[in-house]
Amino acid sequence: MSKSKNKKTRTKIEIDYSICGEGGKIDPRDCSLCMRSCDPAVFVMHPTIGTEKKQEDPYDPQDWRITPIWGSLCTRCFKCVNACPENAITITW
Amino acid sequence: MCQWCLKHGAGKKWYLNSRNYHADQLSSEAEMTDYLTEQWMNFEQIYIRKIAGFSSKDLGYKLKMPIIGRILRWRAESMIHSESKNRNAKNADGHFGQVIPLEDAQLIMSELAAEPIICNYCMCRWMQRKEKEAVCINFGVLSEVLEKLPRFIPKDRTYRIDRETAMEKLEEFNKKGYISSVWFQPVPYINAICSCESPECGGFTLRNNFDLHVMYKAEYIIQLDQDKCQGCKQCVAMCQLNAIRFIPSMNRVIIDYDKCFGCGICRHACKNDALKLIPREEYPGFDGTY
Repeated sequence: MSKSKNKKTRTKIEIDYSICGEGGKIDPRDCSLCMRSCDPAVFVMHPTIGTEKKQEDPYDPQDWRITPIWGSLCTRCFKCVNACPENAITITW
Repeated sequence: MCQWCLKHGAGKKWYLNSRNYHADQLSSEAEMTDYLTEQWMNFEQIYIRKIAGFSSKDLGYKLKMPIIGRILRWRAESMIHSESKNRNAKNADGHFGQVIPLEDAQLIMSELAAEPIICNYCMCRWMQRKEKEAVCINFGVLSEVLEKLPRFIPKDRTYRIDRETAMEKLEEFNKKGYISSVWFQPVPYINAICSCESPECGGFTLRNNFDLHVMYKAEYIIQLDQDKCQGCKQCVAMCQLNAIRFIPSMNRVIIDYDKCFGCGICRHACKNDALKLIPREEYPGFDGTY
């Protein structure tokens, strides 16, 4: 039982940030359907870091994106893929 | 008593030592304000920060890697429990907590917590579920820091509360099924009592899935009186951590002590008084398993 669990290949969840996030037309703070549909809470929403664009007001950041942070908890139920209105999420393994 | 009680408890449990509630006695208040402002301005980004040069994205897989996994675990644990002077506020170094039952939470609110007390939005639920629910009770220096951050402060109601309201709120949250937990941030300064829910809570996520000690188990464990249990299953629905299960053949519930944190939420559901909290050290098998 545990052996087959160890063999489970790595799940890669990717979000297309050109659609969802600071550059795209969707603000994650308005949508967040993937976060809300995910049972093990794999996603985290956060102000963006590491991009060239700086947050104008650090006390009230306006650029947000969603990162699938706990990939190992993903059960591959595809609820997030189905929930995303712009099909920005892909899951591969 | 856990290692943090021995270190910061002055002979008591760490969260009952009144010294830990006063920022000015531990270090300067300005220093605490700077640290907490930095930490809370970047709070949602904690998960994507780097640990020992590795991004914490997909941490679960990285911790399983042969050598790198052990280095990562050691580094993450030392960050969580860091007491050094140059700890990084953006990584929330020195930020960890412990589950407490309602009685202890109310005792902290009634006597120990420093003014001002605020009730603000839970940021774990915000960043993982886009749920804005005002269930976090913060006090002391942290209250003034949080008031500057609009995304955590409820606009439509008064967020500054007095001690009595805070105690009533804790009871309300507890009976709703939320687990009270008290937090060091940074150790040894105590300034928050959260009402957590699994799996949204960052502490429970890291502890239950990756065994990182961000959240410690309570100083108590739950005891089930088998003769009194009538098998009504109400407590099963109440437990956030899947620690209680119903066994049809015996018509009673069983408790998984590996999963049980000793929060005592299930007591609120039991009509037959079958569940009781007892101090952890009275059970030799559980003593020290925090």
